[in-house]
Amino acid sequence: MSRLIQGLAALTFFCSATAVLGQETVKIGAVQGLSGPPAIVDFGESYLQGNQLALKEYQASLPKMKIEFIVYNDEANPQRAVSLVQRLISNDKVSAVIGTVNSGNVAAFAPMLQQAKIPLMAGPAIATDITAKFIDQSPSYIFRCSMVEKYQIDAMLDWGVKNFKKIGLLHGTTGYGMFASSEIQKGMKERNVSLVAIESGAPTATELTSQVLKLKNAGAELVLLFHDSLELLYRSMPKADYKPVVAGNWGLSSLKILEIVGKEGLEGTVMGQALDLNDPKAAAFDAKMQKEFGDKYRWPVVAALGYDGMKLLLKAIDAAGSDPTKIRDALESTSDFVAVSGTPAKPFGPKDHECLDPENVFLGVWRDGRVVRLKQ
Amino acid sequence: MNASDLAQVLVTGIAAGSIYALMGMGLFITYLTTKALNFGQGDFLMIAAFLSMSLLTAGVPVVAAIPAVLLVLAGLGILLERVAIRPLSTALAGSAGSFAWILTTLGFGMLLQNTATVVWGKSSFYSPPLFSSGDKKVVNLFGAGFYLEELVVAGVALLVLGALYWFLFRTRAGKEIAAVAFDKPTAALLGINVRRTVIISYVLMALLAATSGVLAGPITTVQAHMGILFILKGFAVVSIGGFVNPVGILIGGLGFGVMEGISNYVDSQFGDLYPYIFVLVFLIARPSGLFSEVRTDVR
Repeated sequence: MSRLIQGLAALTFFCSATAVLGQETVKIGAVQGLSGPPAIVDFGESYLQGNQLALKEYQASLPKMKIEFIVYNDEANPQRAVSLVQRLISNDKVSAVIGTVNSGNVAAFAPMLQQAKIPLMAGPAIATDITAKFIDQSPSYIFRCSMVEKYQIDAMLDWGVKNFKKIGLLHGTTGYGMFASSEIQKGMKERNVSLVAIESGAPTATELTSQVLKLKNAGAELVLLFHDSLELLYRSMPKADYKPVVAGNWGLSSLKILEIVGKEGLEGTVMGQALDLNDPKAAAFDAKMQKEFGDKYRWPVVAALGYDGMKLLLKAIDAAGSDPTKIRDALESTSDFVAVSGTPAKPFGPKDHECLDPENVFLGVWRDGRVVRLKQ
Repeated sequence: MNASDLAQVLVTGIAAGSIYALMGMGLFITYLTTKALNFGQGDFLMIAAFLSMSLLTAGVPVVAAIPAVLLVLAGLGILLERVAIRPLSTALAGSAGSFAWILTTLGFGMLLQNTATVVWGKSSFYSPPLFSSGDKKVVNLFGAGFYLEELVVAGVALLVLGALYWFLFRTRAGKEIAAVAFDKPTAALLGINVRRTVIISYVLMALLAATSGVLAGPITTVQAHMGILFILKGFAVVSIGGFVNPVGILIGGLGFGVMEGISNYVDSQFGDLYPYIFVLVFLIARPSGLFSEVRTDVR
């Protein structure tokens, strides 16, 4: 019996090897923030984990193409990101690129990929205008599978103005924090409401007690949190005996934040989301990720978008081969896509290169150590 | 600003300022003996914060965890002096390369950062409180809430600085440091073991950084790159003090911390900038620091 099993195993290996030998090799490059500030690393590693699981599943399915996945770390540094993308284009001759965390880095290298006619699946960068800047350059090679800042801010403000009389803002003074602040203030103006307090903190701040006292004195019932070090607000609130509802970007759904702030501290915190773990598909994905990465897996929504982004690319490569322009066309015409995140079955079109649409973004809330959909 | 807010901002500022003062003291003490600053001192603080966090999380009692951290850091101080300072002081003395310690101390610090990243990962952590737990950690005084840790940090920092002052001016080893600071060859001629004195100063620097790390861990977020911030502020503080007087450094540290809190309260957008502007203006007016002395003096 064991000889029979050994024989079958050898045959399977032979068939697989023959199949692989006959396969066309397609190179996908990834530039991701894998070291540097902790928040960047959490984003970068989680998105990459999603990419890796999608690739592993693809390779296990005896695919048409052999994929070579080249991963570089941009260290959250724009110059390094640009030179790595140059290397992917010129030396590695990749057919598609994925990345990265910093929106500024994506803004720096996206024009190079557009010019080289190589599709980019941007993520997990969230700045609003990443694909919009290129969409009129038909054809645009810039796609994204990630949260879009404006979508989550809009969802938050719609809910916030309906439920709270006094809303305050705490933002960082980095490019990201300033951008979020201006989007929020613009959004509040559109809704004819004013913020009762606007406080900010440097990215290097180690504590935010002064800012928290100002928010408390202004009577803010809801604090919109867009500071890079999310945990600092929670650190100062007990001292000020201040318990507002906190809402912020999807960074607040990281299990790392749960680990740092704790279940009680985070209870009731609201954030932008695109993954509902009550959905059986999402729950199955969550279980797979936990099995694959163990305690290194800490951010379901970011990993899910990384997974969907990679799956979309692989589906396009399956249909188009290694030609970057054909991959771009295949991405744009993808339909019947089954996503684990909120990504629809036909994510892209000639004038829409975002995986998520505003209606796919919803608000999540921490309840008993788990992010669930906020009932509105 | 109402009274309770002021009290809260003051205590938070004094706690942070005490840590800056301890960092400033560390810079001061190595400057005395070797005319070199340990630019990796912030990373010593970071290692101490991580070690203390790991030991406390593993259930080691505070009374055992703190001496263990101090011991490890003292070893690191000796290692730094041996590999990054001593070879330069002998090989490059008097040459343009005598500033190479900037690079070697920074390099040593980066090694520590990378080691921390490998051991503890790249994310942030909260260190458990040293003397309290759970909800009880907030103490109410004058209508304002404080973490017990903040009061302890300020108290311990003052005690450590008092002890340092006593060591420098009331003990033989301290007086030897002063002698080495004035003139190394003369100190050696008088029978002082200069090499041992230099090592003692680096151990003291490491112990001050260790104290800062153990105390800073529970009141801020622990992560591999936290050191740079403390060393920058420590440098600003020691500049206010003028590299000559521990009391000046203490006043500079507390003042910087309080100013940081108040400026963040008044205008949070540029809150972290104002204290640096103040330091700049202050140094233009008094380039040699608070207790200015034209000549080097450690008294």
